[in-house]
Amino acid sequence: MIPRPETAHWLAAAFALLLGLVLLSEVIVGTQVFRRRPWRAYLFPSLALCSGVGLWVITIFSTFSTMHLVAHALWAEAAMIAGGVQLAVVRGKLRSPHWSLVTAIALLVSGAAFLVHEPNPWLYSRAAFLHHAIGWMLVAAALFPIGQALRPRWPLWRAGFALTFIVLALLLFADRDAAPIFGRFAGVVAG
Amino acid sequence: MMRRFLVLLALLVSALAVPSLASGHVTLESATPEVQSSADLAPTQILLRFTEPVVVSPAAIRVLAADGTVLSGAARAAAGDRVVIAPVSGLVRGSAYTVRWRVSGQDGHSPAGVFTFGVGVPAPPPTDAVGAGAMTWKDDLARWLLFASLALVIGPLALRLLVLQGPVPETLEQRFDLIPTAAALAVINVGIVAFVLRASNALQLPLPDLLYGDLQPFAEKTRFGIAFLALTLGFGVVATLLLFAWVADLRVLRVPALVLSVLLASGISLSGHQATLPNSSKASELADWLHLVSAAIWVGGLAALAFIVWPSAPALRARAFLGFARLAVVLVGVMVLAGAYLAFVRLPAVSDLWESDYGRLLLVKLAIVALALSWGALHHFVISPRLEAGEQPRVRPSLVGETFVALAVLLAAAVLTNATPPPAEPGSTVARSAR
Repeated sequence: MIPRPETAHWLAAAFALLLGLVLLSEVIVGTQVFRRRPWRAYLFPSLALCSGVGLWVITIFSTFSTMHLVAHALWAEAAMIAGGVQLAVVRGKLRSPHWSLVTAIALLVSGAAFLVHEPNPWLYSRAAFLHHAIGWMLVAAALFPIGQALRPRWPLWRAGFALTFIVLALLLFADRDAAPIFGRFAGVVAG
Repeated sequence: MMRRFLVLLALLVSALAVPSLASGHVTLESATPEVQSSADLAPTQILLRFTEPVVVSPAAIRVLAADGTVLSGAARAAAGDRVVIAPVSGLVRGSAYTVRWRVSGQDGHSPAGVFTFGVGVPAPPPTDAVGAGAMTWKDDLARWLLFASLALVIGPLALRLLVLQGPVPETLEQRFDLIPTAAALAVINVGIVAFVLRASNALQLPLPDLLYGDLQPFAEKTRFGIAFLALTLGFGVVATLLLFAWVADLRVLRVPALVLSVLLASGISLSGHQATLPNSSKASELADWLHLVSAAIWVGGLAALAFIVWPSAPALRARAFLGFARLAVVLVGVMVLAGAYLAFVRLPAVSDLWESDYGRLLLVKLAIVALALSWGALHHFVISPRLEAGEQPRVRPSLVGETFVALAVLLAAAVLTNATPPPAEPGSTVARSAR
């Protein structure tokens, strides 16, 4: 009943890459050009919302441990709520730039779920390293939507936010959960 | 220093970039005898196959008889450490046994699990494993919150679609979308907590170890587990439909959201004890579902009237109140009829009402229901005529009071659902934990 972890991780990585490329396109060509076709404005929030629905499917396949069940449910909820709120912002239902703080909270919760999900230190294994790297990156990336809430016109926030998803995709593509690799390096670092 | 750093960096990048043995977390792949299976002959060994190599201690597998006697010997690893085998002796035909296992994976995780199997008899549910704890107040609280969340999805949607048809102010419209959306997410979250609590009663692991507890036998082999999976996915869809209804002004999406929620409520009732009692039937399952759905619409509708309509749409108060009063008559009728039928099925003798714990709990619930119905009757026969006459009586405190009494009814119902009814026939037992 459980799909191979690599398959699930690579699917998630592909989706994160798509999200990142959509966001990066907007940063590169500018919002005015990007949104010349109105549907493009809905692309990122709709994909985020759909990824939340997809993650609910993954959640029900994650009953092999309590921790994975809870972590996937948190990611699903975070993606759904952040996507829904951004969709409402694009539609004009919500107007304040402060609504991007919801995205910041979603990133914080998602990052925390990665960090709690990994009980081992950074160099214990490949998976441990990647979980720590992804967790801390998402926690730090929460600064981008916070910045967007405070200074909506500064492009750095949008660029940082877009790159977060691209780096997330790369890290997820590398996640194969093979345990002993960094376990050997831990000794090198200590020595 | 710089050179060492560069070497480390190169190693890190190569370790990430170069494909290596693709592997995942340690999970139980299969077992012999199979999880929750019935074997014709008593096995002489228990074999567990994992997805990854594991580290085992001699006590990695414990096989327990119904009286708690340990029947297994020292466990050992085989087949490249992916298989764990423990010899067993003294198993007899006509008995059920519990297997408790715990291993360590190379990823540092230490999964643990429990399952049962029968020899010549069906395997009891994993919640009936030897050493499993009984349900506690935490299970009651979780079920109550599940009922209340379900009511807050169904009730406001039913009030909007059945009672308050036509255009309403935008503020009210948004609340009719967002409160059920939040409640649908609450159903999922509370459902996860309730599911993990039920499984933890059987797993009997301290919290840090519970994080690695294998929940698969509970998710795939019990009614409440299957109901949990359906509720999680189903209410994820309900929340999405309601979000789209709000964002895209596609109010028509509320209809499938309500229908789906009402259908999913059957999962909650089918995972309750009613469905696993020896005297359960299709009629009793249908009655349980109708009882739950009508109660959810009643409680959720009351809450929506008191906390959504009253503060945000003064012009619609009388219309909403009078419409809901008419709907409540039907709901109360269905609740009383279905509840009376279920009490008749669950309590074989009238004396069970005061002689069994279940009967006494039912009496408490009936007392609170009587209070709620009296309150409702006061609204129906005293307040409604005044509103129809164009008066503006002060109703909200009374509505809030009735809502809290209705929530108390749900609490009593949650405790009752987790309690064991008296046996249908002398000597028969109730499959309590198969719920």
